[in-house]
Amino acid sequence: MTIHLSIVLFLPLAAGLVGAALGARLVRWVVLAGTVLVLAYALVILVDFDAGSAGLQYVTDDEWISELGIRYELGVDGLNLFMIVLTAVAWVPCTLVACFREHERPRLFFFNVALAETAVLGAFMAQDLALFIVFFDLMLVPFYFLIGGWGQGDRVRATTKFVIYTLAGSLLMLAGAVALGVLSTPDGGQISFSLAELEQRSVSEGTQQWIVLLFALAFFVKAPLFPLHGWVPDTYRSTPIVVLALLSGVLSKVGVYGFLRIVLPVMPEGSQHWQELFIIVAVFSILYGSVLAFSQDNVRLVVAYSSIAQLGFIVLGIFALDDKGAQGAVFQMLNHGLVVVPLFLIIGVIALRANGSESVARLGGMAFRAPVLAALFLLVTFATLAMPGSANFVGELLVLFGAFEDKLVYGLVASVGVVLAGVYMIRVFQRTMHNREGPPVESRDVGGLDLAAIAPLVAVIVALGVYPHFVVERTEAATVQKIEQARAFGGEQEARAPGGQRTSLPPPGDEP
Amino acid sequence: MSATSYGWLVLAFPLAGLFVTSFGWRVLPGRLPGWLASAAIGLAFLASIGALVQLQDLPAEERSVVDSAWTYVGTAGVGADLAILVDPLSVFMCLVVSGVSFLIHVYSVAYMASDRGYARYFAYLNYFVFSMLLLVLAANFVLLIVGWAFVGAASYLLISFWYRRTTATYAGIKAFVMNVIGDVGLLIAAFLLLNETGSLGYAGVFEGAEDAFTRNDGTLVAACLLILVGAFAKSAQLPLHTWLPDAMEGPTPVSALIHAATMVTAGVYLIARTHPLFELAPTAADIGAIIGALTLFFAATVALAVTDLKRIIAYSTISQIGYMVLGVSVAAYGAGLFHLMTHAFFKALLFMGAGSVIGAMAGLQDIDRMGGFRRAMPFTFVTFTAGALALAAFPLTAGFFSKDEILAFTINRGGWYWALAIVGYVAAGLTAFYAFRMVFRVFYGDPVPEARELEEGHLAHGEPQNPMSGEPEDADVGFPGPEHHIAERSWPMKAAMGPLALLALVAGVVQIPGVTDVIEHFLEPTFEDSRFHDTAPTEGSELIGLVVGGLLAIAAIAVAFTVYLRRPGTADRLRERFAGVHAFLFNKWYFDELYDAVFVRPTATAGSFGRRVVETDFVQGFIVGGATGLVRAGTSFARAIQTGYLRAYALLLLLGLAGLALYFLIASS
Repeated sequence: MTIHLSIVLFLPLAAGLVGAALGARLVRWVVLAGTVLVLAYALVILVDFDAGSAGLQYVTDDEWISELGIRYELGVDGLNLFMIVLTAVAWVPCTLVACFREHERPRLFFFNVALAETAVLGAFMAQDLALFIVFFDLMLVPFYFLIGGWGQGDRVRATTKFVIYTLAGSLLMLAGAVALGVLSTPDGGQISFSLAELEQRSVSEGTQQWIVLLFALAFFVKAPLFPLHGWVPDTYRSTPIVVLALLSGVLSKVGVYGFLRIVLPVMPEGSQHWQELFIIVAVFSILYGSVLAFSQDNVRLVVAYSSIAQLGFIVLGIFALDDKGAQGAVFQMLNHGLVVVPLFLIIGVIALRANGSESVARLGGMAFRAPVLAALFLLVTFATLAMPGSANFVGELLVLFGAFEDKLVYGLVASVGVVLAGVYMIRVFQRTMHNREGPPVESRDVGGLDLAAIAPLVAVIVALGVYPHFVVERTEAATVQKIEQARAFGGEQEARAPGGQRTSLPPPGDEP
Repeated sequence: MSATSYGWLVLAFPLAGLFVTSFGWRVLPGRLPGWLASAAIGLAFLASIGALVQLQDLPAEERSVVDSAWTYVGTAGVGADLAILVDPLSVFMCLVVSGVSFLIHVYSVAYMASDRGYARYFAYLNYFVFSMLLLVLAANFVLLIVGWAFVGAASYLLISFWYRRTTATYAGIKAFVMNVIGDVGLLIAAFLLLNETGSLGYAGVFEGAEDAFTRNDGTLVAACLLILVGAFAKSAQLPLHTWLPDAMEGPTPVSALIHAATMVTAGVYLIARTHPLFELAPTAADIGAIIGALTLFFAATVALAVTDLKRIIAYSTISQIGYMVLGVSVAAYGAGLFHLMTHAFFKALLFMGAGSVIGAMAGLQDIDRMGGFRRAMPFTFVTFTAGALALAAFPLTAGFFSKDEILAFTINRGGWYWALAIVGYVAAGLTAFYAFRMVFRVFYGDPVPEARELEEGHLAHGEPQNPMSGEPEDADVGFPGPEHHIAERSWPMKAAMGPLALLALVAGVVQIPGVTDVIEHFLEPTFEDSRFHDTAPTEGSELIGLVVGGLLAIAAIAVAFTVYLRRPGTADRLRERFAGVHAFLFNKWYFDELYDAVFVRPTATAGSFGRRVVETDFVQGFIVGGATGLVRAGTSFARAIQTGYLRAYALLLLLGLAGLALYFLIASS
C-alpha cells in the first residue's frame, strides 16, 4: 500500500474539527478515535519502513509558496521514524485519560489536544525549514490555550512566561532561518528552504556560527537546557497533567531533533565551532538538573528537572559528533518520551489519591493498598533512571560511549549524572510509595481506566528493554549519515564537494 | 541437550517463577507462591547439574560454549548479543547460587509465612535469583552490567521489603546508590576495553587485550581499577562497604541469600572472570589484593564490637569476602572460589540460625539482650555452632580448607605478599573469636526470659515495633508479619538448615590439598591460561598453612571461651579500659560520618544553593526577568492599545519585524 504522510499528519486536526462540530458530548470520542487511527497508521509506517535506507521515505513534495521557495515537503527516515511513533503512542493514553476527566469547554479543550498532535507531527515530518518553523510555532498555540485555559494555580503568569520565553526563542530561529535561506542562495539562483537543497548550498563559516547560535537558543529553550529553563517550574506546576505529559514527553524532543535534522547537516562548520560550548551546556544541564531534582519537593518538578538532565544527555550525545553518541541520542529521545508520559500519568493518579497534593514531604505509603500502581511506578522509575536492562540504559550507554570517544573528561563528568539519577528517582519512588502514609494520602489501587492508559506504555518500555536493537537498527543509517555530514569539516568552501559527498576529516581539536 | 540449552533453562525457570508469582499474587492461595518459587529455583539447580554433566562430556579445551539468542544492541561499533557463556566457572557459580538459593527459598516458605507480602516476597526473590544467574552466565560486558544492575535492584527491593519502616527504605536507597556507583565504574571500564580491543564479549576482549595492551598498560590498569570499583561496590569492600550492614534491614533469609551467599560474592566472580586482564595489569591486581586484605582486617575488628546479631554476621561477611578478593587477586582462583562456595554454605546457615534466634526474641537483634538459648533451641544451637566452627576455620570444617588455601597461596607469591598473609592470619584469629563470641553470648549463660518461655513451650511475642528505631508497627503489608518462626517448630526451616550444617562441616573434603582437589580440577579449563601456575603453593606448604590456621582458630576460640564463659565480665572490663578503641570499632571506624560530611551534605547543600540562589536570582531573576523585562519594555506601546494576553501577539509582531530588519541588514552588507 502507498503511505501518505499528509493523511496521518492532518488526521488529528480533522478529528478535532469534526468533533468540535459534533458537540460537547461527542468531541472527546472523535478526537480519541483520531489519535487511535494515527497510532495505527504510525505502526503501519513502522512495519513498512525500510531499515537499511538512509534516505527519506514516503516523501510528499509539493510547491507551497513558490515565490519564497517554501515547499510542502514531508518525509520519514531513521531520525524521525520513532519520533512520529512516539507522538502517536503518547497521544492515545493522554487523550484517553483526558476523556474521563471533566473539563470546562470540552470542545475547545479537545480541539486543542488534536491540533497539538498535528503540529508536533508536522514539526517531525517537515523536510522544509520554513515548514518546520511553521509547525514549530504552531505547537505553541494549542499549548498556550491548554495551559492558560485549563491550568491550575497561577496559570496566567505561567502561560505568559511559557509563551514569551519560547516565542522569543523561536523568533530568533525564524530570523536565523530567513538569513540562512537568503544568504545561501547562489547568485541568480532561486531561494529555497528545502533541507535537502540547503545541505547542498553553502554559507560562510562565520555566518554559520551565528545562525547556529540562533537555532540553538530556540532549541535549548524548548528542550529545555540550563540556563534557559526559566519557564519550566511555573509551567510544570500549572499545566494540566495530561497536557504536561505531552509537553514534557514529546514536545521537548522537537528542539533536540532540530539539531540533528537541521543544524548538523546544514551548518556543519557552525556546529563544530560551538561543539565544545554545547557540550558544556549539556554537561552542566545534566549536573544541575540532577542536583535540583534531588532537592525538589513537588513530584512534578522532580521530573521537570530530571528532564533537563536527560535532555542534557541527549544534547551531549548529539554534539559528541560521533555515531555512537548520536545513535544514543536518537534512542534516548524515544526512551525519555516513553518514560515521561507514564510518569506524569502516574503522578496524576497519585495526586488523585492524595487530595491533589504533589509534595513528596506529604506523600508516602501508597504501595500499601495500591500494589499494582506501585509496581507500574517501580518499572517506570527503573527505566527513567536508566537502569541496565532498560532501553534507556542502552541509549545512555551509547551517549556516554560517544562522549568518551573524543571528549572523555566531559563524558566522565556526565556519568556522575547517572548516579544522581539513581538517587533522585529512587527517592521519589520511596517518598510516594514507601514509608508510612502521608497525611493526605488515601491509598487505593489504580483503576481500570488509568491501568489501560499506563500499562501498555510500561509494556512497551519492558519490550524495548528486552530488544533495544529493534530501534537502533532502524535509526542507524540516517543518524550515521547526519553525523558524517557534520564531521566532514569544510574549513574552506571548496572542500564541500557537490552531491553531499564531503571528505571525511577528523573534527578540530579543542576550540573554545 | 547441549550445555547451553541447559544454560538457558537455568535462566528460564526463575524467570517463569517470577511471572507466576507476580501475576498470580491475588489468586495463588496460602503458601503456594512460596512453593512454586522454590520449585522454580530447584529446577534451575537441576538444570545447572545438567549443564555440568554436558560440560564434563566435552574435551577439556572445548569446555567454553557461547550461545546467542538475539542481537541485544548492535550499532555504530557497539555490539552485544543476548548471549550466555557456559564454562566451568559459570557452571560452578550456577550450582552454588541455585543450590543455596533453593534452600533459602524453602526456609523462607516458613519464615515469611505470616507476612502479608508473601507473594511479593517470592516474586522479588525469584527475580533476584534470575538476575544473579544472568550475571554469572552473561557472555559479554553489556549483559554482565544488566545482571549486575538487576541484582542491585532486587537487593534494593528486598532490603526495603518492609517498606513502611523508614529505616528499611533508607537502607535500601543507600544500597542502591552504592550499587549504581559500581555500575558506572563497570560501564566506563567496558568502554575502555571496547575502545582498545574492539569487542564487548569476554572472548573478544581477552584475546584482543593480549595484542592491544602491554603489561601494566595505563589504560588497562584504569579499566581494571574501574572493574574493581564495580566489584567492590557489589562485594562491600572498602571504601564502598557501608551499605551492607544497613542492608540487614531486610528479612533475615534475604540477608542469608543476597547479603551473604550470592550477590555480594559477585565481585569475586567478576575478578575471577576477568583474570586475563588482571594478570596483564598486575598493578591493579595488587591494589585489589591490598584492599581485600585491609577490608578483611577492618571488618573483623568491627565484628568484635557491634552488638546487633545480624550486623556482626554482616561485618563477618565483608571480612570473608575480603579473603576471597585477596585470593582471586593473587591468582589463587580455585581457592578464592572454593572459599566463595564454603562461605555461601556456612554464612547462609549462620543467618538462618540468627533468623531463628531473632524469631525467638520476637524481632530483637541485640546480643546484649540474648543468652541461654542452648536448651530452648537445640536444633538452632547445633546448626549455628556448626556454622560458627566453619567460619572460625576450625580444623577439618569447610572454612578451614578454603581460607587457609588462600593464605598459603598468598605467602607463596613471596615478597611483600607475606604482609598480606600475616594480616589474613591475624584476622583469622579475630574471626574465630567473634564467631564464638556470638555462640557464647547467644546460646550460653543464663537463659533470658524469652528463652525460658520457650523452654516452657511458648514462643515470645513482643510488642510490634521496629527494633532499630523503636517505632510502633502493625502487622499489615509493609511490616513484618505478626508471627515469628523458629527452626524448632517449622520443618521447612529445619530442612534448609540441616543440609547446610552438614555442608559447612564436611564440604571441605572436596578440596583437601593433594588428596581430592575436585574444585581446582573442575575449574582448571577456565584458569589454565593463568601465568601464576608456578607460584601455586606446594602440598607441603599448604599443609603447614593448614596447621597454623587450625591452631590459630583453636586458640582464638579458647580465648573467647575464657572471656565470655570462664570469666564473665572480662569483656566489660576490656571495654571500659579501651573505651576509645571500643568507640572507634563500635562506630565502624566512622565511615558513615565521613561520607555524610564529604558526599551527602555537599550535594544537599549544592541542591539547596541551586534552588534558592541560582534558580531564584539567576535563572528566574536575571534570565527570565531580563527577557520578560525586555519584552515588557518593548511592548509597552502595544499594551497601551491592547490588553491581556494579546501582548504576546504584539511581541510576535515586534520580534518578527526585528527579524526582518536583521535580515535586510545582513543581506545588504
